[in-house]
Amino acid sequence: MPSIQALSSTPLDIPHTVPDHALLPFLRSQSQNTLTRLYQRPSSCLSILRLLGPLQRQLIMNLLWLESAIPVSTMAAWVVPDGKKLYNEALSAVVGLHIIQNSTVKLALNPTFKSSLRQAITGGGTTSSFGVPAEKDEKRQPVGIDTLDAYALERWETILHYMVSSGQGQLPTKPSQGVLFLLQRSGLMQTTHGSALQITSAGFQFLLHSPHDQLWSLLLQYLHMAEERQMDLVEVLSFLFMLSTMELGREYSADSLSETQKAMLEDLRDYGLIWQRKGSSKCFSPTRLATTLTCLSPPLPTSSTATSVTTSGTEVSLSSTAGPQGFIILETNYRVYAYTNNPLQTAVLNLFITMKYRFPNLVVGMLTRESVRKALSNGITADQIISYLVAHAHPQMRKNNPLLPVTVQDQIRLWELERNRLKSAEGFLYKDFASQADYDYVLAYAKQLGVVLWENTTKRSFFGTLEGHANIRGFIERRSGAS
Amino acid sequence: MEAEADKPSHLAVIVDLSPTQWYLSAQASNPYPLSIESFLSQILAFLNAHIATKNENTLAVFGAFPGKSVMLYASTETLVDEPPPLDANSYPPFKMVDTTVTQRIFRELDTIDPGDEPPCALVGALTKALCYINRITLPSISTSVAEGSTNVPDPRILILSVSPDLSSSYIPIMNAIFSAQKLKVTIDVCKIYGPDTVFLQQAAHLTNGSYIFLERRDALLQYLIMSFLPPPSVRKVLAVPRQDKIDFRAACFCHKNIVDIGFVCSVCLSIFCQPVPVCSTCRTKFPIKALQRLKSACPSPAPATPRPLANLNNAVPRTTEATNHGTPGLR
Repeated sequence: MPSIQALSSTPLDIPHTVPDHALLPFLRSQSQNTLTRLYQRPSSCLSILRLLGPLQRQLIMNLLWLESAIPVSTMAAWVVPDGKKLYNEALSAVVGLHIIQNSTVKLALNPTFKSSLRQAITGGGTTSSFGVPAEKDEKRQPVGIDTLDAYALERWETILHYMVSSGQGQLPTKPSQGVLFLLQRSGLMQTTHGSALQITSAGFQFLLHSPHDQLWSLLLQYLHMAEERQMDLVEVLSFLFMLSTMELGREYSADSLSETQKAMLEDLRDYGLIWQRKGSSKCFSPTRLATTLTCLSPPLPTSSTATSVTTSGTEVSLSSTAGPQGFIILETNYRVYAYTNNPLQTAVLNLFITMKYRFPNLVVGMLTRESVRKALSNGITADQIISYLVAHAHPQMRKNNPLLPVTVQDQIRLWELERNRLKSAEGFLYKDFASQADYDYVLAYAKQLGVVLWENTTKRSFFGTLEGHANIRGFIERRSGAS
Repeated sequence: MEAEADKPSHLAVIVDLSPTQWYLSAQASNPYPLSIESFLSQILAFLNAHIATKNENTLAVFGAFPGKSVMLYASTETLVDEPPPLDANSYPPFKMVDTTVTQRIFRELDTIDPGDEPPCALVGALTKALCYINRITLPSISTSVAEGSTNVPDPRILILSVSPDLSSSYIPIMNAIFSAQKLKVTIDVCKIYGPDTVFLQQAAHLTNGSYIFLERRDALLQYLIMSFLPPPSVRKVLAVPRQDKIDFRAACFCHKNIVDIGFVCSVCLSIFCQPVPVCSTCRTKFPIKALQRLKSACPSPAPATPRPLANLNNAVPRTTEATNHGTPGLR
């Protein structure tokens, strides 16, 4: 029986390194020049600050209002002995982004970043980096937050639904050409022999991620593509960051945008990040997908709860901090009850459960060996299934500890291990040795190198890895040449 | 588990806005004069920095005015009549904080009667802050229980004090400290002007917060950012200065004097500066004999015939002293 470790065993009170945001490695790969140009805009600095870990943010804040550089030892004096490692990691992460200047003697912020972030916090300046609001138009009603949410949700679910149903041969509404191209480029979908787009195993895994992660992985792909399309990366990034600092439910003017950014408007409209009255409209409104880009909170109300979303602007901040509404109940007998009428959620569940009954607001299914193996063969891992079930567990389930029945968790993992019984390795088979002594001699040498994968004395043959072949071959040749 | 390491936090800031103290603070004869205007601009930058570090961070600001406490800003409530117009050069939430806080402070200051100035309602503001924290941490009826418990913001209170201790507020402050302990709220104190306050030192100590006496008042913002911006999880790595000497003296219940040696009711632990025949809190009657013995041992109003020293050792059965860590339970 393989050992199976429990989920979420991290102790609460010990601070540990937070996994980096998906965008940060991309930013780190950019040149210092690009980053410095990006840091000229206060909104970009503010958004990047929010993507960083808590310790990194505090380090930046500590240095923000200092006029001159401070010795490294002064800052290190604040660190508790146990936190040295965390501190050094945080410091090198910020240095990697060229926010803190790389020096072993003094610590200081990048001057561009410092002045921009100061400007963001105190307000003022003339950079217009937080978006120019559109002129009030008396004739038209301002767009409601409900409309924006519904629009963003519809766009986003169209994309996901298209992906999930492509594997089942159904043809739902197609997203726009730009989106399809992006999905194909990111390897989430692919065409085989000129046929229609098919979802890949990466695509299946993508479906089980949280909406926030999904959004960022698509946007990252968009950024990679922007580089190839000769778009100015700084313009693209700063537009995204500007969107993330805009206010939901307001209209902004597109007049002050650069040509690149105007071109982006259309792309982002397809993803559901931006709402426009007409394609040619001079105004645009960011949706919740855009304004929560730098949050941890789920960017969209799941559609089962979309009808009950609060409308008043004051309560939005409350509802955005509330967690996602779970809908799945998993019992120890492998039965899954999903309180949803959302076709997308049903379709995603259908990836790894066998459906039994459907009611207007309830789907009942079973986790069976066949259904899980089908998911595994699509490239979904057991951990992804389990984390999806955890993330969408019904509030009623959250009273259980552990959240999911242990038997079911173990069984899913065992089903995955079942598939891993065969292990393949490339290498060479050595056989037809003239004498037992020859065989023993060569085998002893191969064992010394540690490259033997299998041996059989009666047949006088053994199997060695690819790496060991050159050595063994040379050894045999030297031996036969000598004799 | 990202959410655990990087939780949103709620900060409640209590600003002491006593006109007299701020007038004194701005006098050029001080080592580092600090006017209320410069204080406000620095505190606004600090508030913005708190919201800037995380999108989900929430903020509440309370003002302690003479004889009155007012909520100046709260993330979940709209306190001004109309939101400020959008401006391309500033982040809307920051602008909202700045305009709301300044507008409401000036409105309150205008209504202050220039004559007699009652003491600052610091306790009122502290209690309001605790009530507000209680409200946002407790899951509301409409949302489910599980939802609320997973997304509780880490609450903290920061008191920016300029007024001296008000001994009549000892009991309410202690009660507030106990509620804060129960709610697991950290109370930080920054003493901007005036002498150290005993009660706020105790508040910070008992709730695991830090008490900082501002020496260089021209560097207020840097003090605030380095000591009070990090949430408790970050403070485990970047240490924040703590007070090493804390004044644990209590105030008596009868005259509200801060006492070095007090007399404690053996039933309800109320503190008195003199021996009393009947406890004013729980109405317990003390035996007349014990009373006489205590009275004779009382140091300040010297009795007519001083007793020999030998009897003094068992004369005061229970005392609260400056080094005593325990604080009596209050009703």
